[in-house]
Amino acid sequence: MTTLPPQPEAAANTAARTIATSGFAIRPALLVPVLAVGFAALIGLALIAVIGVSVPSAIAAFVDGTLGSPYAMAASINRSTVFALVGFGFILANRANLTNVGGEGQIAVGGIAATAVALYGHVGALPLGLSFILPMLAAVLAGALWGALAAVLKVKSGTNEVISTLLLSFVGVWLLYWCVQSPALLRKPMTSSATLPESLEIPDTTQLPLLTGDYSFPLHIGLPITIVIAVVVAVLLSKTVLGLRLRAVGLNPVASNRAGISYARTVIFALAMAGALGGLAGALMLLGEQYTLKDGFSSGYGFDGLVAGLLSRGSVTGVIAASLLFGFMRSGGINMEMVAAVPTALVVVIQGLIVITLAGATLFIERWERQ
Amino acid sequence: MTWELFAVFLGSSIRLATPLLLAGVGEMVSERAGVLNMSIEGMMLTAAFAAAVGSWATGNPMLGLLIGTIAVQPVALLQAVLSNTLRANQIVSGIGINILVLGATTLAYREIFGARSRAEIPGLTKVKPPLLGDIPVFGSAVFEQVWLFYAGIALIVATALVLRYTSIGIAIHAAGAEPKAVDKSGLSVTRIRYGCVLFAGFMASLAGAFLSIGDIHTFTEGMTRGAGYLAIASVIFGKWKIGGTVLACLLFGAATALQFQLPALGIAVPNALLIMLPYLLALLAVGGLVGRQLAPATLGEPYRR
Repeated sequence: MTTLPPQPEAAANTAARTIATSGFAIRPALLVPVLAVGFAALIGLALIAVIGVSVPSAIAAFVDGTLGSPYAMAASINRSTVFALVGFGFILANRANLTNVGGEGQIAVGGIAATAVALYGHVGALPLGLSFILPMLAAVLAGALWGALAAVLKVKSGTNEVISTLLLSFVGVWLLYWCVQSPALLRKPMTSSATLPESLEIPDTTQLPLLTGDYSFPLHIGLPITIVIAVVVAVLLSKTVLGLRLRAVGLNPVASNRAGISYARTVIFALAMAGALGGLAGALMLLGEQYTLKDGFSSGYGFDGLVAGLLSRGSVTGVIAASLLFGFMRSGGINMEMVAAVPTALVVVIQGLIVITLAGATLFIERWERQ
Repeated sequence: MTWELFAVFLGSSIRLATPLLLAGVGEMVSERAGVLNMSIEGMMLTAAFAAAVGSWATGNPMLGLLIGTIAVQPVALLQAVLSNTLRANQIVSGIGINILVLGATTLAYREIFGARSRAEIPGLTKVKPPLLGDIPVFGSAVFEQVWLFYAGIALIVATALVLRYTSIGIAIHAAGAEPKAVDKSGLSVTRIRYGCVLFAGFMASLAGAFLSIGDIHTFTEGMTRGAGYLAIASVIFGKWKIGGTVLACLLFGAATALQFQLPALGIAVPNALLIMLPYLLALLAVGGLVGRQLAPATLGEPYRR
């Protein structure tokens, strides 16, 4: 039996819905995120000064880590694709008024599935790119299952998906820990007691091809894949029946159910898609950059993608902009830590400030847009 | 299992459940009034950090505890302003606060402790209550706990009495169930909700301080590791009742304690599975055993006059 949420909840979630307002809404919807990012960046600069690092040298280190070399640029863009995929999943589910905060776990199970198939699925010798496509598909499937689990709980017993996706995230992250700790699972054979808790390196043929074939500019095919998905998600949300169904269920589940749109199927579809994109993000990280599965390989990526989704206020272009921002911010942050001794946690502070500022500004945006 | 081991298991279950109990009961009160604080996690982390720094700097864990509780109030106030005055999405704003606190405490920890990480931090003392503590085998293993645990029990009992027998309790319940009626009766829904969020912050601060200066006498980055979310799950599991919430927290505590007990018994269960267990239980709890109709009617909805 499916449980429909009671009416008041649908009526009251205006805040969540405004996050999902569609399309090319410019004006306040564009201005406010820009102001929020600017405000957070200013506080970040102030903090750098407070901890006693010269601001110009920190900025120099930041720029050097983002645009300083072809390698840094490619690494930043690869990172951005991961955030973007999670962010697309977030806005897709959010269109149905669902909040997927399980990106972290979905990336983890995606990484696990991709590694398992790449290492032990006998795919290494397959032609036509199947050697890396199959591991990717496995990751997509694993992520979709992880997302669908939360959806089934919501449909069957009305469990708030925020809590369930969060808890599933913890389970996924510990599952990853388990996989790399246990030789019976994915840990590489222990030759000595000093063998690290990580998997074997995946075969060359299962690694994602580089666009230029040159490791000094390691941009891989994750970028074109992400661009294609961006177009698909944008079209799905604005031009298809499916997109309309998501929105209808998000606005009024009871009315849409009466109009013949299955609440259960829509919720499961939305969260499974969000999970699938999270799983794919995990596959890109694993097959495109890391090549070995390690504990905590996804640490923080799911939340960055979530924040990108929130910042975008429901638009695909917004997700892309925010993901690029965060991809470069992370790279710059890492370089600031190495060169200028500014902890990367500073970047986390800035992200937290952005989310809080935007959440707090919803009321003003709503009033402004109504005028 | 020998009685001695069982006693140790009970004792560590209680110890591990204590932060969840404190934070869970605080969150339950706030949810009764209609405000969901995803930021419990961040509030706990703030207190864990501030109490550890306070205790380390002053050499006095009591002052550390005080500093921890004071440090959380601005965070709780921020959540209250976002949830009530600015009518922000409570889930999004709570998660934002958690991200901010994780970054800020990590940054400050590096700046303050730097190379001296794992500094020795003076912790709260343990007490053994007179009668219970004298029970053979069980006495010290189960009942010798950090005094904050006993203080917490007293607070929880007091909270239960206030909720049940006073007009404040009725007002809190009504603010979540029928805010319009509260408004018409001349009470301020906003004020009640502010008060409840600050109370949840206070309880979460005790929970966080317990983690750092009560339990392990040190601070590690992001040390709450989802305890705040478990506290929220315990409220759902406990069907927004104080007794149920307490039982759920004890269950999660016991599940966590198994991590240390099963290996001691020579039972080979993967460590990761045991670490996962409380989260799996919480998932089962929120997924299968309770229905939504039990939640306060306006939970998560900002009140608009």
